[in-house]
Amino acid sequence: MDESALIKDAQRGDLDSFNTLVLAYQDVLFNTALRILSDEDQAADATQDAFLSAFKSINTFRGGSFKAWLMRTVTNACYDELRRKKRRPTTPLEPDTSDGDEMDSPRWLADKSMSPEQKLEADELEHAIQHCLDALPSDFRTVVVLADIQGLDYAEVANATRVPLGTIKSRLARARLRLRECLQGFWELLPASLRLDKETQ
Amino acid sequence: MTSFRDVELLSAYLDGQLSPPDSARLESRLSSDASLRAALNDLRSARGLLRQLPQRRAPRNFTLTPKMAGIKPPEPRAYPTLRFATVLATLLFLATFAINGLAPIRATSFASAPAPASGFGMGGSGCEQGCGGGGPETAPQAAGPATEAPLQTFATNETPTPDIRSSLAVQPTQATDNSQPTPELLNKNSAPTEMAPNAAPGMGNAQPLPVQSEAPIPFVWQIGLAIVAVIFGAAAWSIRKFNESKFRKRWK
Repeated sequence: MDESALIKDAQRGDLDSFNTLVLAYQDVLFNTALRILSDEDQAADATQDAFLSAFKSINTFRGGSFKAWLMRTVTNACYDELRRKKRRPTTPLEPDTSDGDEMDSPRWLADKSMSPEQKLEADELEHAIQHCLDALPSDFRTVVVLADIQGLDYAEVANATRVPLGTIKSRLARARLRLRECLQGFWELLPASLRLDKETQ
Repeated sequence: MTSFRDVELLSAYLDGQLSPPDSARLESRLSSDASLRAALNDLRSARGLLRQLPQRRAPRNFTLTPKMAGIKPPEPRAYPTLRFATVLATLLFLATFAINGLAPIRATSFASAPAPASGFGMGGSGCEQGCGGGGPETAPQAAGPATEAPLQTFATNETPTPDIRSSLAVQPTQATDNSQPTPELLNKNSAPTEMAPNAAPGMGNAQPLPVQSEAPIPFVWQIGLAIVAVIFGAAAWSIRKFNESKFRKRWK
């Protein structure tokens, strides 16, 4: 895939070229939105909005990292979604068990590579990490999602969030510190290789 | 216990974002400070956990449709021309009705206003063709009185009275036999078109007057314009529909 050629064609209004880029980046953008918003439906909406907004403003792309540019659009879409959520808080319509607990969808049934136990552990760990991410302020969460989950470098994160590089460093350090503290509460879920050093508490 | 400044340094060090001198300084501190080393391991573990988060597949494709992107199917090349031709033909078609509709009114006003100047005795809307021939022949005898009398007539009698009409209808020859037109007779000049046939036979040397005015634009032309408008309109519509369906089929 010649990304720059596709971008140029998309800038001339070629929707096919843009859709090729969409297919290449939709998983990354969806995961970013999912980690920031912690809700699949909202993440899907934000991703769709981000791609739509990206197509409309693709002529403002002046080179550099296209991924970082797309990350900026999805970050903006997530912030819009968070603001909307704050204005109109909603109650999730997840089915409850007889005890009133939320019932998780049995996603592991579809995954043949893991045993149900392994999948359950992985899901619990994912929930724990997502819980700790949700506890972060949205600015910190965005930085940590872009840098640590999506693997963007500091300059790309700064570009995506339109925040100075020094602020990115500071936010990332604070976010990691808070995550470390939060994850201590899920000690038993952490894999042995990644267990946090209890002595530092 | 590590300070936040140290955590910030350790975080940047983990990502390789420290300058070489700062990295060297931190590494010398790490070799001697166990708590700093533990903090670094904690940060590394936290980052490792985040990086191990499974990447979910997008629940659906987020490709854009032309409708979402606000893209309309491109106009066929011939469409603007056909559309213009349709509009033009329709306007011309409507104009023919307007012109034909206005023609009798114009003729009537023409007949009533300039009659005194063109001599007397011709009246009616068929004057455009008939008066020209009859006027000059009768003018030598009637020019004098004709120029003055109608003015008086218009001043005194604004509308022709029924008795005049009936007398003219019953005795058509009186109008022409009498070379000195009376005001009553002159008033007949401004009478409606249907009076002309009654007056015509008695005009002596006057040429026959047309019975009614012909439409300036023939009916055949109107039909032709209507057909042209319909054909071009249908062509424009079908070419556009065909283009839209082709565009939609492509994006299905």
